Amino acid sequence: MYKYSDTDKKIIASRVKQFENQVNRRLEGKLTEEEFKPLRLMNGLYLQLHAYMLRVAIPYGELSSKQLRKIAFIADKYDRGYGHFTTRQNIQFNWPKLLDIPEILHELSLVDMHAIQTSGNCIRNISSDHLAGLTLNEIEDPRPWCEIIRKWSTFHPEFSFLPRKFKIAVIGCTKDRAAMMVHDIGLRIIKRKNQVGFEIFVGGGQGRTPIIGKKIRDFLPKKDILNYLEAILTTYNQEGRRDNIYKARIKILVKELGIEKFRSLVEENFSKLSNKELEIDDKSIKEIFGFFRLPPLKPNTNQMPFKKNQEYQYWINQNVIPHKIQGYSIVQISLKAPKKPPGDATSNQMRALAEISDKFSFSEIRVTHEQNLVLPHVSNKELFNLWNQLKIQNLATPNLGLITDTICCPGMDYCALATARSIPISQKISSHFNNYLKQEEIGNLKIKISGCINACGHHHVGNIGILGLDRKGQEFYQITLGGSAKEDAAIGEIVGPSFSKNDLIDAIEKILNTYKKHKINKSDDFLSVFRRIGIKEFKKDLYDNFTKKA
Amino acid sequence: MVKKLQGETFLLSANELRSGKVVFFTSKGWSSSTDEAIKIKFDEINKYEEISIREEKKCIIVSPKFVELDDSGNIKNLRDKIRNSGITIKI
Repeated sequence: MYKYSDTDKKIIASRVKQFENQVNRRLEGKLTEEEFKPLRLMNGLYLQLHAYMLRVAIPYGELSSKQLRKIAFIADKYDRGYGHFTTRQNIQFNWPKLLDIPEILHELSLVDMHAIQTSGNCIRNISSDHLAGLTLNEIEDPRPWCEIIRKWSTFHPEFSFLPRKFKIAVIGCTKDRAAMMVHDIGLRIIKRKNQVGFEIFVGGGQGRTPIIGKKIRDFLPKKDILNYLEAILTTYNQEGRRDNIYKARIKILVKELGIEKFRSLVEENFSKLSNKELEIDDKSIKEIFGFFRLPPLKPNTNQMPFKKNQEYQYWINQNVIPHKIQGYSIVQISLKAPKKPPGDATSNQMRALAEISDKFSFSEIRVTHEQNLVLPHVSNKELFNLWNQLKIQNLATPNLGLITDTICCPGMDYCALATARSIPISQKISSHFNNYLKQEEIGNLKIKISGCINACGHHHVGNIGILGLDRKGQEFYQITLGGSAKEDAAIGEIVGPSFSKNDLIDAIEKILNTYKKHKINKSDDFLSVFRRIGIKEFKKDLYDNFTKKA
Repeated sequence: MVKKLQGETFLLSANELRSGKVVFFTSKGWSSSTDEAIKIKFDEINKYEEISIREEKKCIIVSPKFVELDDSGNIKNLRDKIRNSGITIKI
């Protein structure tokens, strides 16, 4: 894991002081809300439906057990004993008091954490593959590059007031587990003629205008990455619209100019950049990579232990995958237990998990963009012990990648922008399909739920996407089919008129029946069937005999 | 705050500046309960908007808004109902 330097620590500490001063000025009336709002947003502080909400950065989703303990401490002392892991691999507290925020930020700084740039029109937390550095098919670990970009983008004076927020994801292999193609900039590490560099995508995004990113560069040498990012951001900063918040994201600029024109502007800026300071030399790259070495894992022939325990075997089948070092496994912890809000963890669970990670996974925990957690380095021989301990904490739900492993935004239960609730929908789905064999029979299926068009629940890229709408004061849910956030990224198609929350489960069942009818074999998953037969078949089966439509 | 209002009766609501807690305006000041909240007629809106501006300046509240009531005197919109009664899910 990256370790903060003295400079990093000083920066964070001075930011805490600065924000403390801003909060005091606000409480004394020296700053109006209008003046304070952009300042609090730059420190991840929102005012939501019921209370303030603080979003804490977890850079590229990597946490230590010490940091997780601190998060648990904050949840207990300043909040209501739980936190919510987000689709940017961050964590949110839903109930802090403004008065306490400086103290919370100070506590976070003690474990090298902060809330800087988790909101506002700036470069947000860099996200990445939660399996970075753990799999054999990776070209290179993307986390050091995330860290390099984090350093460059933090408090970047030119990019602190962009037309709109800006999201970057970096992945290190052909498998996309970070929804890279729906980011403002997506970077994929590739190898060409024995040289490692970046393939670069730009202008992806979700929200009210969902777009898959367009390739802007086939290959960029590693040393040039910051100069190229600077060129893209400069172009966006100069050309991006500021007159209309809904047209201000880079995806709109790329769409309006066309990728060819946008590319030529970026290349022009890139060629003009003589900022040699931003070129990264091999020594600096090596230094950063040094922070991300694997712990001392000794290859061995230990197998995953077999037990005559069905629940354990389900968990092994669904949540555990092999580590690149023989004899070790990657354990994925579902935060989608039945009837629980997706992505939420209680302070007790966090503390237990910190303990478990100390014991079984070198004190390392990762957060996935699908709102789950990962223990990255677990010895095979410890898997049964680990499962027993996770089970005590209700953290052993065997549903990774299955229908109840939903992504879900906080929705109208918390969010001031939401037009409908999303968590109760997720809970209905998890209750209805709460049977491992039933889920396994359905196979890989991503349901993603957003409570409004801003798409924080990534519904556009759900195999089944659910969007909550307000229809004359009633909650209705629009369904999209065929979306994907993976390397075969696609935006889902709207299947037809929306459903009331009482009809939604029936609608999902009908969609699954159509899928099952056309499924050829076990490996023929929902997305494959959808792509083969198209939306018409689903639409026909779904709307025949359905009366309650909006 | 007033421009888009429809309806006949409202409550004045806001968040407490220091805590963020949802509050409603009563004859005794701000309260977290709607029980004693003043029911405001549409033609009184401007008067209460001035009060909200004053209270904001005094750093007591932030983000004031009018909450519409239905014919029975209950909060009309789902969002406002949730805002008043809390999240609808178990943690």
